[in-house]
Amino acid sequence: MDEEPERTKRWEGGYERTWEVLKEDESGSLKATVEEILFQSKRKRVTESHGQVRLGMMRHLHLVVDCSRSMEDQDLKPNRLTASLKLIETFVEEYFDQNPISQLGIITTKNKRAEKLTDLAGNPKKHIVALKKAVDTVCLGEPSLYNSLHLAIQTLKHMPGHTSREILVILSSLTTCDPANICELIKTLKSLKVRVSVIGLSAEVRVCTVLTRETGGSYHVILDESHFKELLMLHVKPPPASSSSECSLIRMGFPQHIIASLTDQEAKPSFSMSHLDSSSGADLSLGGYFCPQCHAKYTELPVECKVCGLTLVSAPHLARSFHHLFPLQAFTESPTEQLQKDRFCQACQGELKDKSIFSCPSCCSVFCVECDLFIHDSLHCCPC
Amino acid sequence: MLNIEGLLVHFPYDYIYPEQYSYMLELKRTLDAKGHGVLEMPSGTGKTISLLSLIVAYQKVFPLEVSKLIYCSRTVPEIEKVVEELRKLMEYYSKQTGESNNFLALALSSRKNLCIHPELMHANIVVYSYHYLLDPKIADLVSKELTKKSVVVFDEAHNIDNVCIDSMSVNISRRTLDRCQTNVETLQNTIQKIKETDATKLKMEYRRLVEGLKEANVARETDVYLSNPVLPDEILQEAVPGTIRTAEHFVGFLKRFLEYLKSRLRVHHVVQESTPQFLKDIFDKVCIDRKPLRFCAERLRSLLRTLEIADIADFSAVTLISNFATLVSTYSQGFTIIIEPFEDRTPTIANPVLHFSCMDPSIAIKPVFQRFQSVIITSGTLSPLDIYPRILDFRPVTMASFTMTLARTCLCPLIVGRGNDQVALSSKFETREDFAVIRNYGSLLQEMSAIVPDGIVAFFTSYMYMENIVAAWYEQGILENIQRNKLIFIETPDAAETSMALEKYQEACENGRGAILLSVARGKVSEGIDFVHHFGRAVIMFGVPYVYTQSRILKARLEYLRDQFQIRENDFLTFDAMRHAAQCVGRVIRGKTDYGLMIFADKRYARADKRGKLPRWIQEHISDGSLNLTVDEAVQLSKHFLRQMAQPFRQEDQLGLSLLTLEQLESEEMLKKISQIAHQT
Repeated sequence: MDEEPERTKRWEGGYERTWEVLKEDESGSLKATVEEILFQSKRKRVTESHGQVRLGMMRHLHLVVDCSRSMEDQDLKPNRLTASLKLIETFVEEYFDQNPISQLGIITTKNKRAEKLTDLAGNPKKHIVALKKAVDTVCLGEPSLYNSLHLAIQTLKHMPGHTSREILVILSSLTTCDPANICELIKTLKSLKVRVSVIGLSAEVRVCTVLTRETGGSYHVILDESHFKELLMLHVKPPPASSSSECSLIRMGFPQHIIASLTDQEAKPSFSMSHLDSSSGADLSLGGYFCPQCHAKYTELPVECKVCGLTLVSAPHLARSFHHLFPLQAFTESPTEQLQKDRFCQACQGELKDKSIFSCPSCCSVFCVECDLFIHDSLHCCPC
Repeated sequence: MLNIEGLLVHFPYDYIYPEQYSYMLELKRTLDAKGHGVLEMPSGTGKTISLLSLIVAYQKVFPLEVSKLIYCSRTVPEIEKVVEELRKLMEYYSKQTGESNNFLALALSSRKNLCIHPELMHANIVVYSYHYLLDPKIADLVSKELTKKSVVVFDEAHNIDNVCIDSMSVNISRRTLDRCQTNVETLQNTIQKIKETDATKLKMEYRRLVEGLKEANVARETDVYLSNPVLPDEILQEAVPGTIRTAEHFVGFLKRFLEYLKSRLRVHHVVQESTPQFLKDIFDKVCIDRKPLRFCAERLRSLLRTLEIADIADFSAVTLISNFATLVSTYSQGFTIIIEPFEDRTPTIANPVLHFSCMDPSIAIKPVFQRFQSVIITSGTLSPLDIYPRILDFRPVTMASFTMTLARTCLCPLIVGRGNDQVALSSKFETREDFAVIRNYGSLLQEMSAIVPDGIVAFFTSYMYMENIVAAWYEQGILENIQRNKLIFIETPDAAETSMALEKYQEACENGRGAILLSVARGKVSEGIDFVHHFGRAVIMFGVPYVYTQSRILKARLEYLRDQFQIRENDFLTFDAMRHAAQCVGRVIRGKTDYGLMIFADKRYARADKRGKLPRWIQEHISDGSLNLTVDEAVQLSKHFLRQMAQPFRQEDQLGLSLLTLEQLESEEMLKKISQIAHQT
C-alpha cells in the first residue's frame, strides 16, 4: 500500500482504522505492534528539537483559555473544558519545570468578556489551584479575542524588552465577538513584539491565521486529545528570540534563604512583599528569601523585587534554563543487530531488547529508548 | 519551456500542475485537427494560462495556420484576469527570447472602453465578452472582419446556450412600443428637415438601395466578413423592396407595424403562435408582406446612417423592433411568439409583454462554428460533455474532462438526504411546504454554522423558496440560534443591495465573526463571485435548482428540444439543474490550497442520474458512504474534514504529486500518470 510516501500524511486517509494496524505475533499477543506505535510517537518529539539559536529564556506568557459555550462540546472527553484544563495543568507544571525564571498568567474569556484568572507570576501552585477551581465554570456566550488580547497586553507591555512577551490562546469557538476592529489590535501587538500563538480546538479560523502570522506565533488545530497535548508541549520550549529584541546584561540577585525557627528569639515574623498587592494569602511568616540589595522579603522565587526591581532567582533555576541554549544532540538510531559489543544500555544497564538502539554522536555510548527519552527530556546531558 | 508533442511552449511559471499539461496536450490535438473542442477542467487549476501559453506558442510556430486568438469570457473581472495572465506571459516571452514583443493583444471590456480602431484587424490576440461575437447587433460592429484562421475560445461556457438564446430573443413591452413611437416621430422630423436642406442625400441613399446590398454580398462571398444571423444570405441577393425604399415610405411602414404590435398587446389571455402564423396574421390585418419585413433591420441602419444620427443608443427601441421584424420573417423554425397579458405572479396587474423567444441556441452560434477553424468551449463545469455538441449542433474533434490531482483531498462533497428524525430532505414541489423538511433544513444550517469556521454560503432554488424558508425559520426561532454563531446576509434581486451584503459578509469572515450568505442558484452570486479560502469554507445547496418549469417560454423550448434534437424534457431539466448546482458548489474551491465542504441537501442528489451529471472532479470524491447522510452524520464528517484540513500544508507537500517541476514532468512515470487525467468522451 505504501507506494507513495505521502500516504502517511494524516489527512490522506479517511478514517484511521487503528485496529487494522494491530497484528498478532506468534503467541497471539498484540504487545509488539502496540509498542511499535508508542515507540514511534515517543521518538518524534525528541528528533524535532531545533539546533542552536538564540532563545528567549525569560518568558512572560499569558495563557488565554476560551470558556465560551462551545467548550461544552463533548468531542474531547468528558467535555472540551475539563479536558483542556487538565492538559493545561500539566502544561503549567512542565512550563515552570523547563522555564524556571519565567512567568505565566491565565485569562479566561466568555460571554464577550475577558477576565484574569491569575496574574502574571512565577509560582505554578497558584495557577494550578485556580485551574482546578475553573473546572466548574459555566460555559456561556461567545469568547472575545479582542478583549482577551487587550487585557493581556495591559500587563505584558510593561515587561522589560529583553524578556519574551507571549500569548497562547486556546480557542474552541469559531467566532469572536469584538468591540472594535481586531486588525488595529494586531498592529499594536506587532509593534509591542508580543508573540501570539493559537491552538484551535475545532477548525482553522482566518483571523487566527492572520494574528499568528503577523505576530510571528504558531497556529495549530488539534486532531484529538493526544495531538492537543503534543501541541501544548511545543510551547514549553522557549521560542527563538527575535534578533531585534534587546540584549543586555541583566542584574540578578541570588537571595539567601533564611530559615528561622519559632524558638529563635531574634526572628520577627513579617509579610512577604509579593503579597502586598493581593488581598489573599497575606500572612505572616518567619523565614524567607531576602533581597540582597534592599532586604525585602519574598516567600517564593523567582520574582522581580517590588522595591528595587532586581530579578531574584536561585542558582538551580538558572542552571535548569541553561539546557535550552545548548540542547543535547539527538542520538542516532540504528538496528540492534549491527551492534557488535555486548548489548547493554550504558545508562540503566538493562539488556537491549528493542529493535533499535541509540548512540550518542559524541561518545558513541549506546542507550535504550527509555533512557534516550529520559536523557533528552529530563537530564539534558549525556551521562557518559 | 515545455515540449508538448513536439511544440515548444513557453510557460511562465516554475511549476506546473499535471492537469495543465494534459489540457495543453488535448488543446494542441484540437488545433492540429483544425476542429472544435469541448474541454472541462476544474476552476483554480490554471486553465487560462494553459490556454494562452499553448495557443500563443502555436501562433508563433505556425503563423500561417493560426493567425489570431479570440478569447471570449463572460464578465469584466474575468476579462481582467485573462489580461493579467497574458501580460505575465508576454513579459516571460520577452525575457526568454530577449527580443521585444511584436505581439499585439487587445481587450475590449465594457461599452465605455469600446474601440473599433482598424488596429483590431491586426491584433494577434483579442479578449472580449461573449456578446461581441454572439450578439448579432454587436457582432456586426466589432467582429465581422476577423480572419477565418482564428482560434475562438469561449471560457466559462457552461451557460453558452442561454447566452445564444438571449442574444436572439426579443421582449417587447408596452414601454418599448411607446419609446419606439417617439423614435419614429423623431425620425420623421429629421427626414423632413433634411429634405428641406439636403434632398440629394436621400436621393443618393435611394439609388444605393436600388443597387441592392451587392457590396455586402461580394464581401461575404470573398470571405471577408463573419455572417450575421440577422441578415440571412438570401437578402443579399436582392435589392430592398420598393415599398420601403424611400425614407418616408419606410417611416410609414414602421408606423403601421407599430400599430399592429400595439393591437397585439391588447390581449386578455395568453397567446402562443409560431412565426408563420404571426406573418399570416400581420398580412391579413395590416397587409404587411414578409419581404419588406425582412429588410427592416438593414433599411433602418441605412436610414440612420444617412440621417447622420450620432447617438444610436437613443434609437434602441426602434432598432429592437426592426430586428424583431427581420428575425420573425426570416426564421420559420426555432422561434416562438408568446404574448402574456400579465405576469404569473401578479395576475391583477396588466403588463402585456410579447416574447419573441429563440429556442435553438445553434442559430446564433452557427456562423461562429462555420467561420472559424477552431472553436474551444471550456469551463470548470461542462458535464455531461456530450450534451453541448447536441444543443449547439456541432461536431467536436475532442471532448475531454480533466480531474484535479490533489496532494490532499481538499473538497468534501456530502449528500445529506435525511434529517435527524429520518424525514427525507427534498425541495421537490410536494414537500416544499412541509414543516418537517423546513425544520430539518434549518437544523442543518444551524449545526453547520457551529462547526464551520468563517464563511458559509447557502444556495436556495429560488427567491420565493428562500423567502418562505427564512420566514419559517424566523418563526421557529432557528434564525436566532444561527445568529449566535454567525451573522446572516441575504442576496436580493437588487444588485446594489447584494453587493453591500457581500461586502459586509466578507468583512465578517475577515475579522473572525463568521457569516452566512443566503443566496439563490442562478443569481448573481452563484455565477460570478468566488469565495476563496475563508470566504467560503462550506457551501450548502438546499434542494435541486430546477428551472421554473411552468414558464411558457421554457415549455416551448423543451418541446422544441424534444422534437428537433431528441433530448427528453427530463434529461434537459436535470442537466440544467445539475450544471447550476455544480456552479454553486464550485464557488468554494478556487485552487489547490483552498478547501471546502460541499453539502448537497436533497436526497435526490444520491440518485445516479443526478450524481452522474456532476463534473468528474466533484463526482470522484463522493464516496458511497456519503450518499444519504443524516444531519448528524454530516456534521461528524465535516468536523473531521475541517480538522484535517487545518493541519499545516506546504508547497513541498504538493511537489511531485499535484505540482511538478520540469524534471518531474518529463519522467516516464509521470507522463503515464498524466495520460490518465483526461477522460475522453
